[in-house]
Amino acid sequence: MQFRHHGFAAAFSVAVIMAAVLAIVMAVPAAAHNPIFTPGPHVTYQGGIEVAVGYERDRASGNGTRQTEQEVEFEIEYGITADWTVEMQLPFLDKTESGRGSSGIGDMALRTRYRFWRLDSPGVQDSAAVLLQVKLATGDADSDPRLGSGSTDVVGGLLYGHEGRRWYYNLAARYRLNTEGEGGLEKGDRQFLDAVGGVRPVLTGYLEPDTVLFLEFNWENAAGDDRNGAAIADTGGWELFVSPGVFWTWRNVAVRGGVQIPIAHNLEGARAESDYRFKLQLKYQF
Amino acid sequence: MRKWMGMAALAAGLFAAPEAATAGSHAYAVYVDGLACPFCTYGVEKKLLQITGVKKLDIDIDAGAVKVTMAGDARLDEAAARRAVAEAGFTLRRFERTGTR
Repeated sequence: MQFRHHGFAAAFSVAVIMAAVLAIVMAVPAAAHNPIFTPGPHVTYQGGIEVAVGYERDRASGNGTRQTEQEVEFEIEYGITADWTVEMQLPFLDKTESGRGSSGIGDMALRTRYRFWRLDSPGVQDSAAVLLQVKLATGDADSDPRLGSGSTDVVGGLLYGHEGRRWYYNLAARYRLNTEGEGGLEKGDRQFLDAVGGVRPVLTGYLEPDTVLFLEFNWENAAGDDRNGAAIADTGGWELFVSPGVFWTWRNVAVRGGVQIPIAHNLEGARAESDYRFKLQLKYQF
Repeated sequence: MRKWMGMAALAAGLFAAPEAATAGSHAYAVYVDGLACPFCTYGVEKKLLQITGVKKLDIDIDAGAVKVTMAGDARLDEAAARRAVAEAGFTLRRFERTGTR
C-alpha cells in the first residue's frame, strides 16, 4: 500500500480507522508510564492491550537543505505476562526535502520488552528491563526522499526506571545495528543514551486527572554510512537534545507529548542539523 | 434549627445509602506495593474485577490500599487477590478482611 505525493491525509485516515477498528475489536487491559522520548521498563500487565496513535514532526536544516518529516504512527502493545510485552509500530510518513516530497508507509517495528527486575515498596516501583526491536524494510526505499531504509535493523537496549508518587527517574542505553539495504547502502550503527527526571506536581487520586512533567536528555551517536563498502562523506556524528514533556492521564486514557531541542552536536561534514522533534501521542488501555 | 436538622438528615442519607446498598457484603482491604500512578493502577482495577464475586473497588493510591466489596455472600480468597495483583505487575503486601458491610 503506497500513498504517493499528497497522500498524507489518506494515510492519516487509514491510521485513525485502524485505531478505531482495533479499539472496537479488542477488549482486554494494559499499563505503562514511560517518558516521551526515552523507552522505559514499564510493561503492560498480563493479558493487557494498549493502543496508541501518535503524531511526530521533525525538522532539520542547514547547508542549503531543509528536511521536514511528519509521521502518524499506530502502536499496539500486548502483555504476555506481567513482565513481558510485545509491541508493533506502524508509521505513515510524509517527507519533504529541498522541494521534493514523498508519502507512504514507513518501516514497521516489532518490539519486545522483558522486565527482569522489579522492586515494589509503598508508593514506589523500581524496575529494569531489556529491549529488543526489529525494524522491517516495509517502507519504500526507492522514493525520494526515502521512506524506508530498505534494510532489516535490530535495536537492543537496557532500561531502568524509578517511579514514585512524586518523582520519576529513568536511564536507558540502546544500540542499533543497521544492516545493508537496497542499493548497497548501509546506514551507520547508532548508539542512544538517555537520562530522565520527572515530577508529579500535584498528587491526585485514582479517578482524577494526573499530570507528570518530564525533562529528558537524549544523546544519539551515529557511525558514518557506506555504500558497497565505501564510506559516504558528511554522515555520522552525535547530537544531544534536551526534551521537556508532559504525560497526562485520566484513568485508562493518556496523552503525552514533548519537544526535543538540540543543545549540542558534533556532526561530520557539511549537512543539515536537527532544528526540533515534536511528538504527541494518545494512548488507551483496554 | 430546622435548616440544620434538614442538612443533618441529608448528610445521614448520603452516607447511609451506599451502606444500605451493600448491606451483608464481605469487605476486604488489599494493600499493594508499587502503586505510584493512576494510569498504571488501572491494571489492578481490571484484574481484581475479574475475580468472581468482586462488586466494587475503592482505590487509595497514597495509602497503597484497595478496598474490595464483594457481592452477596461471595468471599475474596487471598491467593486469588495475590495472583490478580501479581498479574497487574505489583506486589500484594497485606490482605485484611475488614468485616461485613
